[in-house]
Amino acid sequence: MTAAKTAKSAKSLRDVQLWMVSAITGPEADASATDVARYVTAGPRLSAADRFSIYRSGYHARLVECLLDDYPVLAAMLGRLGDDAFDTLCRAYVDRHPSASPNLNGFGRHMASFCREGKVGRVPGFDALRVFASELATLEWSLVEVLHAETAAPLEIAALQALPPEAWARARFITNPALHVFRFEYPVNAVFIANRIEEIVPEVPAPSPNAVAVYRKDMQLWRMDLTPAMLGVLEPLLAGKTLGEALEAIEAAAADPEILAQTGANLMVWFREWVDAGFFTRIELSPEP
Amino acid sequence: MSRPRNRFSLPNLGIGLGLRTVHYAHILEHAPPVEWFEILSENYMQTKGRPLHFLDRVAERYPIAMHGVSLSIGGTDPLDRAYLAELKTLRDRTKALWVSDHLCWTGVAGKNTHDLLPMPYTEESLHHTAARIRQVQDVLGAPLALENPSTYVEHAGNTMKEWDFLAALAKEADCALLLDVNNIYVSAYNHGFEPADYLAAIPFDRVVQLHVSGHTNHGTHIVDTHIGPVIDPVWELLGEAFRKTGASILLEWDASIPSFEETHADALRANDFLVTKAGA
Repeated sequence: MTAAKTAKSAKSLRDVQLWMVSAITGPEADASATDVARYVTAGPRLSAADRFSIYRSGYHARLVECLLDDYPVLAAMLGRLGDDAFDTLCRAYVDRHPSASPNLNGFGRHMASFCREGKVGRVPGFDALRVFASELATLEWSLVEVLHAETAAPLEIAALQALPPEAWARARFITNPALHVFRFEYPVNAVFIANRIEEIVPEVPAPSPNAVAVYRKDMQLWRMDLTPAMLGVLEPLLAGKTLGEALEAIEAAAADPEILAQTGANLMVWFREWVDAGFFTRIELSPEP
Repeated sequence: MSRPRNRFSLPNLGIGLGLRTVHYAHILEHAPPVEWFEILSENYMQTKGRPLHFLDRVAERYPIAMHGVSLSIGGTDPLDRAYLAELKTLRDRTKALWVSDHLCWTGVAGKNTHDLLPMPYTEESLHHTAARIRQVQDVLGAPLALENPSTYVEHAGNTMKEWDFLAALAKEADCALLLDVNNIYVSAYNHGFEPADYLAAIPFDRVVQLHVSGHTNHGTHIVDTHIGPVIDPVWELLGEAFRKTGASILLEWDASIPSFEETHADALRANDFLVTKAGA
């Protein structure tokens, strides 16, 4: 419903509200000065239209600020395409995914798919960055999700040490809700580190397949680069497999001999590191065969 | 904490601060002598993680009041029952002494602007909003304190002044009020009325909390940004309101937030304005 059409019958509270939201969130034409003056009055120093524009500009500014909070590195990297690139992208995002929730915590959740689709408004050069931007958004959004993930008591290292050697194959490591693992085409974690820790805006990197764990420990957010061998073990565990099933899958896949060797040599070291990082909450043993 | 002077027997907690993320570490490490904290309800909703972890620790040490921005009490979409249920869960968790939100609406037809949009001040709005307040109070099992908003436009269809609307609404809904004296100052500047006229209409026996904050004056209008120190005219309004109600005082500072010590020091400036110069 356009603002102009609504104005003709604007009498009830409902109609006033429908007009106002349309005029605040819709195209500029939906808030024409003539139309606005029919609904709101001029003030001592500003016309009705100028007063109303405070709400229009505030709407976009508020939601863009919310997205900037969630995606500071994406914003910095898009700065390479122009000073307004991130703002333009966010305005397109706001129009595509307006908030329907009383809470803004989840407002930015569509950013990765939005970037991948590439319909982000007039951002010259964005198309070449679609996949990179989407993966960077995935990494940044995972930090938001991990921050809000349920708090669960981590598995104690003593529980790992108490596991008899013959029981390891039957062990199902229940993963922490505050752990996410991703495979990426681009080294987005390196970009994140460069921007947030070294405070630089690096060049957009070339593709380089990699994997990253995002997790929360002691209420702090962390990221851990994972080698292909680590990923080979961790992914099946995340999918609910026992350790024995995970190792069998690695062997059955006739993986790179180097990966098999790394896995055999480092498995205990990895588990100690993962337990220390709080990747798991408990161990369940599947029945003996 | 002094003897209540409001009809809801809610205590005067003293001078409090809005709980903000940037101050978590300082508060938990130093346990500063703040009399109470107000939380932004939505910051602790739709989360199961870190925000609640810190909130629980603050709530163990300090009295808490909850302040929301998304109730949309004047909206014409149905009340969001899931939101209300989560609000009540949060209240039970924090043992918040009261729950507040704004006299406003935030969206319609499922679209949320996340702004505190001004109500048309009409008989229809009055009865519609009063009925919704009663429903909310039933769910919460406690009085809802409604805050007067800062506004930048007035509806052409208004049939009453904001202060008369607020007073009539509080009576019809039997709800509490959170009086924001900065909002009175901002709206008075933007719409050209006298703050004294506003204060004169307020039923102070319903005021359970006072808000004070900084703002941004653009010359042509003032925006309620909650940035910067509070200016003296707003402190003076606070003093006037406090002398009529004795309610809990809360400083809001939401952007460009300084250190905890600086924020707290600004809040404590309220003490300079709570009694008249004659000591009355």
